[in-house]
Amino acid sequence: MNGVDKTGSRMQDVWMKNEVVIGLVMVAVLTVIMLTLGLSLVLTILIDAAVFTIVTLSLNLEVGHTGISQFGRVLAVIAGAFVVGAVPGRVLAFLNGLPYGVSYADDAVNYKVVPAISDLLASSLPLSVGFLLFSFLLAAVAGAAVGWLTSRPAIRLKEAYLGISLLAFGDFFMWVGHNWEPLVGGTTAVFVPDPFRVVWGSRFQVVVIVAVIMAFLVYLYLEKLTRSPFGRTLHMVRDCDVAAAVCGKDIVRIRTQSLMIGSALAAVGGALYVIYAGTCTAIGFTRLTWTFWPWAYMMLGGIGSNRGVVLGVLMLTVARTLIITYRSTLFGFLLTWGIDPMWLEYTLMGLVIMLVVLFMPHGLVPAKVESILPAGRVRKAAQEQGFGATVG
Amino acid sequence: MKTLLATEGLTKAFGGLVAVNRVSLEVRENSLTLLIGPNGSGKTTLLNLCTGVLKPDSGRVVFRDQDITGLEPHQIYELGFVRTFQIPMPFIALTVLDNVLGAMRSPGEDPFRAVTKAAWIEREEEHMERALAILEKVGLERHWNMPSASLGAAQLKMLEVARGLASGAKLIALDEPIGGVDPARAGDILTHLTELKKEGITFLVVEHRIDIAAPFADHMYALDRGSIISHGPPDSVLNDPKVIEVYIGRDEAC
Ligand SMILES: Nc1ncnc2c1ncn2[C@@H]1O[C@H](COP(=O)(O)OP(=O)(O)OP(=O)(O)O)[C@@H](O)[C@H]1O
Ligand SMILES: [Mg+2]
Repeated sequence: MNGVDKTGSRMQDVWMKNEVVIGLVMVAVLTVIMLTLGLSLVLTILIDAAVFTIVTLSLNLEVGHTGISQFGRVLAVIAGAFVVGAVPGRVLAFLNGLPYGVSYADDAVNYKVVPAISDLLASSLPLSVGFLLFSFLLAAVAGAAVGWLTSRPAIRLKEAYLGISLLAFGDFFMWVGHNWEPLVGGTTAVFVPDPFRVVWGSRFQVVVIVAVIMAFLVYLYLEKLTRSPFGRTLHMVRDCDVAAAVCGKDIVRIRTQSLMIGSALAAVGGALYVIYAGTCTAIGFTRLTWTFWPWAYMMLGGIGSNRGVVLGVLMLTVARTLIITYRSTLFGFLLTWGIDPMWLEYTLMGLVIMLVVLFMPHGLVPAKVESILPAGRVRKAAQEQGFGATVG
Repeated sequence: MKTLLATEGLTKAFGGLVAVNRVSLEVRENSLTLLIGPNGSGKTTLLNLCTGVLKPDSGRVVFRDQDITGLEPHQIYELGFVRTFQIPMPFIALTVLDNVLGAMRSPGEDPFRAVTKAAWIEREEEHMERALAILEKVGLERHWNMPSASLGAAQLKMLEVARGLASGAKLIALDEPIGGVDPARAGDILTHLTELKKEGITFLVVEHRIDIAAPFADHMYALDRGSIISHGPPDSVLNDPKVIEVYIGRDEAC
């Protein structure tokens, strides 16, 4: 028994080391990139990493903690992106006597209305902050609604059926956005009013700071949420839903709650992305980028491990960004062999997933089996019962 | 004594096989009712029908004078009726302690309250104390902080029992709780159940090891090929020629 306990804590040490070492390596890599390639590349990496941290953590809530086969992450991201592309700008346009109806998304109108709104935002910090918060709130509500909607037909399905339906929902919405112009401009993009123009000059830096803070808050929130009795019920449903039901858990309700929270967060990620990018294009929300990449990040980091997910996102975002930035200059030679470096990014994704599945099925930072409740409290309770000796 | 659980003409078929055939039984409050029967006689299916894991083809299940036929397992749990599984179904990525805590109700299960620890930590601490005491009763106290996946078969059986006891239910149905457990421990568990009866808990126990379990039973039902073939006080059921024939017949066949 004691031997087992020791092995347990030794394995914990190894995990700890993994996290710390990878974290330090990532800081070092980012520093090197900053010194050699410039700060703006680092900022690009950070903004992408922040957006995808939010999206991938939300995916991990549903997949890693609840055991739902979420192959349609893009759907909730789209909900957040579309609603922010379509609604807050219209509200301001309406309030200021600008075209806000169907014509708002018309490209001949849109490219004039949105800059006008952005000018308005630039004139007032409180208005800009209010616009930003309103957009995120709206995205979260839209995401939660989409999460609830998809849970209705999906919740009774199991594994593969559930996964394929969610995947189909996601593509369906992208094509709706792509073909129905009044929503977000159809085949042409709509511009998104810019609440960061108020800090012009240092806009990029401020966006990055806001995004990183948001990603950190989402991480903290999910850590709290998954290390609570609610988190325990998620894990129960994931590990054995029949037993969870017999233990009094309403498994349909728990899955729905997980889908709603996860989708709300993913939608906030989508909103953040379009606000940063300043435009919203339906066709840009592909399952490749917004479902499969998050899956690759999550698998590399460790399914079920919030901390691992953050590291997985960071590592692969660095790799992705470097590839995207240098694919034509550094990898142009591949063309001589008939390989288009355009596709390097996707090759990398496939490669990562294959390697992880083969050699590291639990990811870089495997999820630990540890008490859901704060360790100190558990220890205290155990000691009071006279179980102190076996505490690791 | 009052009737706590009653089934009326409960029937369930899997394709052509009638696994449970018009079964009507009664579990009296504060009793330990033993359900015996050879392999495949329908005992587990009967528990599944009573606890909402399976829906019956026909018949009714009445618990505390309320028709619970067709309710979901978690609704039946709310009413105070839980069961354990013959083949242990642990939450493998939870610790042994969390497996037991998970069978209790906590205010922190609400996603809004979950993020404020103050809203649930006190209740969880009370639960922890209870859970650790239960683990001691079933002999898992030294394993409380280990992943449940690291337990052996007999220990997993005990974890099932612990989860059942933790639920705080009025009626606990145990599907072969002492299968594979050494006789001394098995006797301890059954003695403990008898003690819990004094606290107002009722037990419906499915068990193959009649020699160990029968002395603890107040009432007994024998099932064969989906139908009740005998019931009454343990002595009379065990001496019932139909029951003897089923068991001896089976033994000779083997
Ligand atoms: N889900 C199912 N699908 C098809 N047949 C089933 C199913 N569950 C049980 N059966 C069949 O129903 C009959 C009764 O099974 P059940 O598990 O209830 O018996 P049991 O009395 O619990 O047996 P044991 O003592 O082996 O646990 C068996 O013939 C079994 O093969
Ligand atoms: Mg059985």
